[in-house]
Amino acid sequence: MLDLLHAWLIAPFDYGFMRRAVVGGLALSLAAPPLGVFLMLRGMSLIGDAMAHAILPGVALGFLLAGFSLPAMSLGGVLFGLAVALLAGAVSRMGGQREDAAMASFFIISLAAGVMLISLGGSSVDLTHVLFGSVLAINSTALVLIAGMTSVIVVTLAIMFRALVVECLDPLFLRGQSRYSGWVHSVFLGLLVLNLTAGFQTLGTLMAVGLMMLPATSARFWSKRLEGLIGLAIVLAMLSSTGGLLLSFHLDLPSGPSIILLAGAGYLVSALCGRYHSLAARFRRRARPLERP
Amino acid sequence: MARASTLRLDDLHLAQGQRSVLEGVSGTVAGGAVTALIGANGAGKTTLVKALMGELDPLAGRVECTVPRARRAWLPQQLALDLSFPMSVEELVMTGTWPSHGALKGYCAAHYRRGREIMARLGISGVAHRPLGELSGGQRQRALIGRTLMQEAELLLLDEPFANIDAKTVDILMPIIRQMADDGATVIVVLHDMDHLKRLADDVLLLRDGGGEWLSPAAIAAPGSPAHAAGGAPHA
Repeated sequence: MLDLLHAWLIAPFDYGFMRRAVVGGLALSLAAPPLGVFLMLRGMSLIGDAMAHAILPGVALGFLLAGFSLPAMSLGGVLFGLAVALLAGAVSRMGGQREDAAMASFFIISLAAGVMLISLGGSSVDLTHVLFGSVLAINSTALVLIAGMTSVIVVTLAIMFRALVVECLDPLFLRGQSRYSGWVHSVFLGLLVLNLTAGFQTLGTLMAVGLMMLPATSARFWSKRLEGLIGLAIVLAMLSSTGGLLLSFHLDLPSGPSIILLAGAGYLVSALCGRYHSLAARFRRRARPLERP
Repeated sequence: MARASTLRLDDLHLAQGQRSVLEGVSGTVAGGAVTALIGANGAGKTTLVKALMGELDPLAGRVECTVPRARRAWLPQQLALDLSFPMSVEELVMTGTWPSHGALKGYCAAHYRRGREIMARLGISGVAHRPLGELSGGQRQRALIGRTLMQEAELLLLDEPFANIDAKTVDILMPIIRQMADDGATVIVVLHDMDHLKRLADDVLLLRDGGGEWLSPAAIAAPGSPAHAAGGAPHA
């Protein structure tokens, strides 16, 4: 029994690439879920998806100019993502168009531009790699990059936590209290771009959103408190990223989809039997009216 | 202890979009007093409140206000509050420490004690750890007043604070608002109910036909005065 557990859970990490992959996954699992929780609470769950598309042309440009160099691709991704976020914000401010509408327009342009760029300069193998990532090819440069970016995210979130909470709850109050209130939203979007760029190497630009949103949306079925939501989302993300890696190792599956599908399974289970608003909770509520109050 | 006035309106012209709402409102709002803002629907009460908070730039004229932004509190009629956000009453009240604590400074025991005292005064200690989304309208209004107390607000703008609120909450809030004014705060309340006005107001600003008239509460609330309710024209 112990041997079996060892073979399943410990032995895979004798390989260097698995060790690096799991560290990268855990680092992402620490940074992404809090962002996802705030996105979800602000009703911006789909903005993450849009931003993920928005970084693609930047990644592609980095790839075209510098070859398969992670720092160049990441830099391109961050710069392009920030540019799209700024443009979308500017359009929504000047035209009265809502930010999500502007964002939707820009991200679809970005996606097309990114795919076009990669097709012009590379092969479909490169495209697959950028879109879906390859957790098993993380080298130590990539690991340092991921760790650096996720550290920036976690530290910045800690510093702006109260401002972010107040901005989500009552933007008008924050506007009265602080001259910097307008920055809170911008910095938050910047962290989002940073997180998606950190995740694209491991999970691909499209899947990076999954590790951010799925643990957050699952946690909503279990906790009504902000600390609970964030803590639980981080735990769920860590379990999915490590479990997904092991599954992909043993069953010879692609790593990105394994991680996200495992997180997706967690979401489905939560939706079925979570404490609040789940199917089971509804069933319990319906069964209760006959009891004494 | 009444203080020198903190708020002066100087020939204020305001517009909402393309529509001119107020033309040439002047006057001084006394510090340490409760000023009721009345007028028919569409007379420009909310527009004026927005301008006082600095959320709306006047077409002409100015608002002079000596109270720093962080000590101004505004409870709009349509709350921007996201009630689905997982935050408890106590946490909401504690965010009122922003002027002294900003985004970074930690709360110490003395501030938590003050928060609890404020909640006790408002009768919401029992729901201190309840999420905001599960409160009644009255409890929510008391929690928001709790935040302004924590904020030590010196300028308080309340837009119909007693609309759709239970009588018990009104009875709790009236003396607290009175006390804030007595402590020196400038309080401006948009009111519809003449009974509330009689109980609370020291001065009255009636908005009508794009202008403002300063009146005494006695003149407004005099029996037979048609200024009742929606704030029609009082007989001179």
